[in-house]
Amino acid sequence: MKKLLPLLTALVMFILLPQFGAHAQTEDQCISCHASMDDKPSAAFRSDVHRSAGLSCADCHGGDRRSDDMEIAMNKNKGFVGVPKGNAIAETCGKCHDDEERMRKAGFKGETGQLKALRASAHSFGTKATDALIMQCTNCHGAHGVRRHDDPESPVSPLRVVGLCSSCHSNPDYMRRFNPALATDQLAKYRTSVHGMKNGAGDTRVATCADCHTGHSIRPAEETTSSVNAFNIPTTCGRCHSDADRMKPYGIPTTQLAEYKSSVHGKALLEKHDASAPSCNDCHGNHGAAPPNVESISNVCGTCHALNAELFRQSRHKVEFDRMGKPECETCHGNHGVQPATQAMFSFDRDGVCGKCHGPDRAPVGYKTALKMRSMLDSLVGTIAMAERRIDEAEQKGMEVDDIRFALRDANQARLQSRTAVHAFNLEEFSKVLDPGLRIATTSLSDANAANEEYVYRRVGLAVVTLIITLTIVLLFFFIRHIEKKQAAV
Amino acid sequence: MKSIRTALSGWVEERVDLSGVKEFIQHKSVPKNRHSVWYYFGGVTLFLFIVQVISGILLLFYYRPGADTAFESIRFLMTKVQFGWLMRSVHSWSANLMVLAAAVHMFSVYLTKAYRKPREVTWVSGMLLFFLSLAFGFSGYLLPWNELAFFATKVGTDIAGSVPLVGEPIMQLLRGGPDVGGATLSRFFGFHVALFPAIFTVLLTIHLLLVQKQGMSSPIGAAEHGEEKSMPFFPNFVLRDLLLWLIVLNILAILAVFFPWELGVKADPFAPAPAGILPEWYFLFMFQILKLLPAHIWFIEGEVFGILFFGVAGLLWVLVPFWDRASQRGQNNRLITYLGIFVIVFILFFTILGWVM
Amino acid sequence: MADPAPSEGRRRTLKTLLGTGATALGAAIVYPIVAYLKPPEVTGEQVTSVLVGKVEDFAPGSGTLFRFGNKPGILLRFPNGSFKAFTATCTHLDCTVQYREDMGLIWCACHNGKYDLNGKNIEGPPPRPLDPFEVVVKGDEVHVTQT
Repeated sequence: MKKLLPLLTALVMFILLPQFGAHAQTEDQCISCHASMDDKPSAAFRSDVHRSAGLSCADCHGGDRRSDDMEIAMNKNKGFVGVPKGNAIAETCGKCHDDEERMRKAGFKGETGQLKALRASAHSFGTKATDALIMQCTNCHGAHGVRRHDDPESPVSPLRVVGLCSSCHSNPDYMRRFNPALATDQLAKYRTSVHGMKNGAGDTRVATCADCHTGHSIRPAEETTSSVNAFNIPTTCGRCHSDADRMKPYGIPTTQLAEYKSSVHGKALLEKHDASAPSCNDCHGNHGAAPPNVESISNVCGTCHALNAELFRQSRHKVEFDRMGKPECETCHGNHGVQPATQAMFSFDRDGVCGKCHGPDRAPVGYKTALKMRSMLDSLVGTIAMAERRIDEAEQKGMEVDDIRFALRDANQARLQSRTAVHAFNLEEFSKVLDPGLRIATTSLSDANAANEEYVYRRVGLAVVTLIITLTIVLLFFFIRHIEKKQAAV
Repeated sequence: MKSIRTALSGWVEERVDLSGVKEFIQHKSVPKNRHSVWYYFGGVTLFLFIVQVISGILLLFYYRPGADTAFESIRFLMTKVQFGWLMRSVHSWSANLMVLAAAVHMFSVYLTKAYRKPREVTWVSGMLLFFLSLAFGFSGYLLPWNELAFFATKVGTDIAGSVPLVGEPIMQLLRGGPDVGGATLSRFFGFHVALFPAIFTVLLTIHLLLVQKQGMSSPIGAAEHGEEKSMPFFPNFVLRDLLLWLIVLNILAILAVFFPWELGVKADPFAPAPAGILPEWYFLFMFQILKLLPAHIWFIEGEVFGILFFGVAGLLWVLVPFWDRASQRGQNNRLITYLGIFVIVFILFFTILGWVM
Repeated sequence: MADPAPSEGRRRTLKTLLGTGATALGAAIVYPIVAYLKPPEVTGEQVTSVLVGKVEDFAPGSGTLFRFGNKPGILLRFPNGSFKAFTATCTHLDCTVQYREDMGLIWCACHNGKYDLNGKNIEGPPPRPLDPFEVVVKGDEVHVTQT
């Protein structure tokens, strides 16, 4: 039985195959004629994905494929269009590729709707069908030798797409015609990035232009629908960097996105929609994406946290951290999961960071300073909180507290500034910022207490008045009784 | 002490003949019966009105009308001026107590049918005073220019605007424009401190003169029951009045200090209406009924029907001395009593309903 | 009518006490009214417009902080003599901003936030521009009003 099977297959093939060949020959006269002319399009079309899907020249160019008479085959009355020009190119492709049903029927499982996406992209002047496209499908995919995007021969394959995009985007002269403000150094930067270097070395799994910008729905980064808009970047980067399987060969963690989402930056950007909060690319760069290295961390963080970075660079920690090879800001604050800084960082328990290096026995000067700073911060934060509570109480009672609140603003400002001042890691500098705040907070607290006492004073005043009125009422009552008794007696 | 007093009264008497007034007061008496307690509520209302006049004048010293200044001036008054908070609190509380006392006074007069001949004009003037008190309340509510008042006024004037034919012009007249705004505030201020007080003073003078001239009304049939006792108006009744006034003053002081009137947030015409917009409690039953009415009753809109209903009912109520023939003849008209009790229960029910809903 | 004397005495006592009570009551009513009428010290409660000072108080090319209700404001005078004013509350975390002559811009000391002289946030963490005020010069007085 087992021996019979190949035999049977061969027999079936023998009967069927010639018919297939004959069929193709009688059906498609375009190819056979053009092949005999030895022209380039027909040669390229031999390896085209569309040919293997059963498409012929006439499916794009029109005309009658069955006739070997040129007059009939390339007759305009038979629908021959010749070489499509301008938008007609994209529309020709879109006829099938925007028709999902048709594509699925043909057994195609990939993306559809590319023309629609292209029309809505930065490569189009508008979204209407009549609007001109800057790019036609053929500009990237080629016309007659179209291959799958993962075919190394395809111009849009991972190793070739970078060159394809940059053929326009690195040409300042050309780009100026469309968007003079757009940078043209993306390729140069990309080649310095980890993605670009690996891509250059032949790694097809790293991010290329299309991975971040998408293939057809490319939008400028300022637009909220763009895959590279600040609000969407964490998801875009996370698509690969949170994928454990994908990152396995590189041996890097995949927790960055989750950490970022829980961080003060992630919450500011994604929950509060604060566009000034950093996204992945603000620290790592975009086209030149790479981890900032140890010495440059304070520069990267310092682009926003300038005062902190300045103080830090002048501090003793800078020297010591460099000596020990510790990453600057990151040593205390972490990286992707950076949390809001509180005085808890000064403690020597689990939440604290000073305890990583300082203790009663090791580096004890820093230990003492940290304890002192902690207690100063605690008293400022505590006094402010207490004053706010007492102000609220007084306000609830209808007392005037605007002035006290106004004064307390300065205490809060000192609290915020003290968080910056910490980075000098110098008790004297720290006190200069914090002490005035503490004084203001203490005054505000006592003012708020006074306002609450005023409330008590009102109650006491009322008690006195009520007592007077009540006594008068009683006296009046007796007076009336007295008069009426006398009247009765009369 | 005594000599000064006699000298002073002598000085006056040489110039003005007060003997008639003296004579009148000495001989005036107040009937004593089981309904006598109700006689005091007119006096309480009067006392609260006096408090309103004094505290209102004092508030005027600091209040500055205008959409930009009204709220700020009240906040200034409440926070910076000594006892400013007390003055505003007293004015607000006293206003509410006055409406309450006036309502009690009005219903007691109604139920004892004290409006019957010859006191028809006293009743009508009293009813007008009562409506004017409500108008005082409505116009005064807006003056602090806070959010709640702003939207309550919007809703209130909207209701006035839904009256057919005259509604729209009336609403425009009240608002001083198509919408509630700075112009409305100016108008309401004018109403509250000039127009209404002027009318009120005239009506109140008529009302009080008539009360003094005609004396208190005895309930129907009091004479037959042998209840025709009386007490001297002076000093007995006056001192009792004074005693009650002091009690009311005490209550007022306690309310003003323990429940100070809140100022809330400044009105913003472009802000969305906050939840829980309620009119003053004395408009609540009308507000609630208008809310509950179906969209259409017969061929007219529910709201219009409600307003027409209140208008007709109010008019009938004011004119009760003229159509209650039985009481005029000195007969006990049960129907009027039951109607009055029904109205009280009706108003209480919808006020409570409005409060809890 | 047995003995009028004790009754007369009681009447007098009652009258005296009543007089005292009435006087005290009068005082309790008059005192708040008198205190109420005493004009309070004004501390810039008027928040729709503020008089910041005289024109000559502000040197050209300077920035001055002033109080606008319960918020701080900053008044800038440009070298050409014109004025501009903004709320001085940083849009980042509510610190009070200041004019930095050396930088030629408005600067927040807390986190190095920077605004240009039109109040636009140009550097650092501030998410929004500063809210502008309107500056009205009446004679030689500089008033700042809410826009």
